[in-house]
Amino acid sequence: MEPTLTTSHALTDSRATTSLKNTPMIKLSEIEKVYQTDTIETVALNRVNLTINRGEFVSIMGPSGCGKSTLLSLMGLLDEPTSGTIEIDGRPVTSYSDKELAKVRNHKIGFIFQSFHLINDLSVLDNVELPLLYRAGMGGKERRQRALAALEKVGLSARTKHFPSQLSGGQRQRVAIARALAGAPEIILADEPTGNLDSVMGEEIMELLLTLHREANTTIVMVTHDESMALKTERVIRFFDGSQVS
Amino acid sequence: MIRHLFTLIWNRKRSNFLLISEILLSFFVLFVVSSLLVSSYYNYRQPTGFAYDNVWEINVSPGQDTANRKEMVQLMMQQLRATPGVVAVTITGSNTPFAFSTMNSNQYMYKGKQAPMTDWYRVDDDMPKVLKFNLTHGRWFDRRDDAATNNEPVVINQKMASEMFGQEAPLGKVLTDRESKAKWQVVGVVDAYRPGSAFAANDPAIFFRDDLSEAATKVDPNERPILLVRVQPGSGAVLEQQLVKKIQNVTKGWHAIVNTLEENRHDKMKVVLTPLVALGVVSLFLIINVALGLFGVLWYNINQRKAEIGLRRALGATGSGIGTQFLGEMLVVTTLGVLAGVVLAAQFPLLGVFGLEPTVYILAIILAAVLIFVLTAICAFQPSRIAAGIQPAVSLREE
Repeated sequence: MEPTLTTSHALTDSRATTSLKNTPMIKLSEIEKVYQTDTIETVALNRVNLTINRGEFVSIMGPSGCGKSTLLSLMGLLDEPTSGTIEIDGRPVTSYSDKELAKVRNHKIGFIFQSFHLINDLSVLDNVELPLLYRAGMGGKERRQRALAALEKVGLSARTKHFPSQLSGGQRQRVAIARALAGAPEIILADEPTGNLDSVMGEEIMELLLTLHREANTTIVMVTHDESMALKTERVIRFFDGSQVS
Repeated sequence: MIRHLFTLIWNRKRSNFLLISEILLSFFVLFVVSSLLVSSYYNYRQPTGFAYDNVWEINVSPGQDTANRKEMVQLMMQQLRATPGVVAVTITGSNTPFAFSTMNSNQYMYKGKQAPMTDWYRVDDDMPKVLKFNLTHGRWFDRRDDAATNNEPVVINQKMASEMFGQEAPLGKVLTDRESKAKWQVVGVVDAYRPGSAFAANDPAIFFRDDLSEAATKVDPNERPILLVRVQPGSGAVLEQQLVKKIQNVTKGWHAIVNTLEENRHDKMKVVLTPLVALGVVSLFLIINVALGLFGVLWYNINQRKAEIGLRRALGATGSGIGTQFLGEMLVVTTLGVLAGVVLAAQFPLLGVFGLEPTVYILAIILAAVLIFVLTAICAFQPSRIAAGIQPAVSLREE
């Protein structure tokens, strides 16, 4: 039987205050992303302007190839726009160095992927500890405690020594969520988090994200193809051919 | 991070096993080659114990003429000594410096202890005048030894003295054969004698006093008396012709071939260096193959782990951090291979294999380890750079 979601280690800090609720957390201005090869130029995003406020749970929808994942990569600072500016928590990051971008990703952003992206040769606990390894000044003991707390939050504290191959799809995605939570990020970017799961598991994961959002007031941006999942979020943004349509 | 690398490598032990094995084998081959090189260099740096400059070797060929050979040889040596430009003349056995002939035995005993394989030489009283031995204890052979009856006088080198007598003073000590029938009393010690080549080991050596001109009369008619002649510096072809003429005049037709010890040394060096160079070339090919193998494995690894690289970048790793991680992983794997190799290589000095000095093996281990680390660092550098340059969004999308 799956352990139930616990709330004993809810992430709470000052960012949940009402006064900050409507301040922009992610702001994209005139964003263009063009993929260029020798012969073909593909416009993935065309002059996108988008603001996601602190503590908002937003879903992005659209057909395959419309630029949803590219948009998420840009928000996650995994890719650079061809033009336009990105602001995270009020700071423009377009001119940041690789080291500064890595620090922002590590401290402010948590990622959840459709295919989980767990390292199969590391245990569940080691996988969850992974983002904390890149956090300067954090000792091994603290890393372990935070990873265990995150696993408890997603109901997998009994599986710390298991390897990803020994888990079900839903459990793997829970591990990925725990990994995203371990660093206590202000933003969670989820790229089709229920895409590889059956409907029951998908519902469970969605409930987990909603609980996290409610309890920790984390800003969540979720790319999804599933209309029913999208409707559970506070706002649905629709994309078509690289442009925002609603 | 180090602990994380060890965890990752341990959990990937199956896939890392072949890599560690490859490094272990490469280390071991490098250790063997390094041992040979260090040993050769170590020997090269040792004193040869004799001077070969301005020394000529004269091979005299009596042919079928066996009559009055003793008188002939004695007369010949007298005539050579009397020649202007000649400093000293000695007659030896076939194992002259840089010759391809050696004579050895381990029959010598002292207080029940058997000698290691020891080179032995038949020499006369004038040999130190020609080869300028450095006597550290006692004396060389002279007329006082004519009266020796029970114990035959011998001179040994320092290595033989250490092997047989340890810290005891070697002079006056008596060596016997296994049956204690023959007894040899040490009258002198030379510091070293390495006539084999510049790379030959300083093996134990024992010198027997012998009237070689006497012996020359009893041997096979085909055996040639060999003379070593020290000449004045700058002597050349004119003196060489004079010596050959004198030999022919005295012996009435014996042939003589003159070589300098310097020429002989050069010829011997070629023969000694040939296998060393061949081994070096083979080792070089091996190292290149190992390097290509490591390079290929790392390249493949990076392609296989692109998604992991993207994930790590997403979680906060910098590009340079990824490069350092791959380099670090390779160095940890190398360390494991080298550690296993060191355990194997350490058996050589512990068991005294090939009788080399432990220092040689220790230096060879250090040299081989340094070479392997440099090799793997070079091989890992470019793939690590590639890993560092991978765009996280691209690699995550590929998954």
